[in-house]
Amino acid sequence: MEIKINNLEKYYDSRKVLDIDSLTIEKGKITGITGPNGCGKTTLLNIIAGLDKDYKGSITYDGLALNRQVADKMTLVFQKPYLFKRTVYENIEYPLKLRGMNKSEIRPRILDILKRLEIENLMEKKAHLLSGGESQKVALARALVFNPELLLLDEPTSNIDPEAIEILEREILRFNQETGGTVIIVTHNLEQSRRLGHRIIEM
Amino acid sequence: MDYILQGFKEAIKLIFSLDKEVINIVSLSIIVSTSATILASLISIPLAVYFGIKKFKGKRLFSRITYTLMSIPSVIVGLVVAILLSRRGPLGYLDLLYTKKAMIIAQTLLVIPLVFGLTYGLTKSRGDLIEKVAFTLGANRWDTIILIIRELKIDILVNIATAFSRAISEVGAVMIVGGNIKGYTRVITTTISMMNSMGDYPMAIALGIILLIISFVIHSLIYSYSQED
Repeated sequence: MEIKINNLEKYYDSRKVLDIDSLTIEKGKITGITGPNGCGKTTLLNIIAGLDKDYKGSITYDGLALNRQVADKMTLVFQKPYLFKRTVYENIEYPLKLRGMNKSEIRPRILDILKRLEIENLMEKKAHLLSGGESQKVALARALVFNPELLLLDEPTSNIDPEAIEILEREILRFNQETGGTVIIVTHNLEQSRRLGHRIIEM
Repeated sequence: MDYILQGFKEAIKLIFSLDKEVINIVSLSIIVSTSATILASLISIPLAVYFGIKKFKGKRLFSRITYTLMSIPSVIVGLVVAILLSRRGPLGYLDLLYTKKAMIIAQTLLVIPLVFGLTYGLTKSRGDLIEKVAFTLGANRWDTIILIIRELKIDILVNIATAFSRAISEVGAVMIVGGNIKGYTRVITTTISMMNSMGDYPMAIALGIILLIISFVIHSLIYSYSQED
């Protein structure tokens, strides 16, 4: 999914927090967005995700304005993921159920994504009781399981151990290579942006 | 002091002797208040979640009105329902005044603002994040409402229990629309009120103890469920 942003301005009260004349996020690429605290990285991600509609300017997704069909093709993984008070399996199952898939299609997909993220052992655990690294893996699994065309990641590896970071980065890369999905990753970590990103935007 | 202790002793005897009148009164109270709480919850909870997450002009004023209505006096609700259901009232043809149905209607109207207000406040404070996650996963408005109810079910159950406690302990509305007719519309609170005015304390104390036990059982069940969850 290609994202085109034009004359984007965002204000909090009277303070301008975002001002982008023109920006194109290329289809099928991983774009890293870095910058200091308060520069508007997360705000930009929320606007692209359709969570924040209070802005000036225009954003198009493959030439279309945001609508339900467009929103269904993208997802956002939050810095502090919110997992539902259900099992890990049920968390990952949720977006597939919303898309009307039946149980026989859902199960192999979930088992595959659990295996990829090395969290098969967590399948029946209550998701809201997991550690930070485990939660982040489950949140990524829940986002990847329906093969979105646009994956938005907000600091997906902050405060988690190096082993989990390696697995998450590997799966983000694999998702991009195998499905051709566009990825936007907001991170403080410039090294991570370089490791993953085809393009880096410094704000 | 002696008459109070005597009242308690006789009350305990009444409870353990499974007095038929006491059983009838308690059963009717539970049926009326449970029905009203279920009806009020079915109506209010989805609406409260919807308005809790929806952003609209005048939401602050809406919140203030909502919270004000939570403390609406039961006699006012009773009076309004009685006027509507009275023979000369717009719903008089239904012939419902002084019936169990009228009591259920009155208690439903009494607890709707309570369930709505509590759930609305809960959703305003904790529903935003759930709504955002739901949106990013492809949920529509109705999916989001169901998800929020599921995620906040323990708190919502506590709200329902609070509403039930309000319903079963109120006296004004059921007295006005039910009429406290023996064996037909007499419930715990109207009986306590009547026994007090007659000076029959054992019965009043017995029913008071039962009221407390009902409340204790319900809140204990919710507490156990929340611990398991």
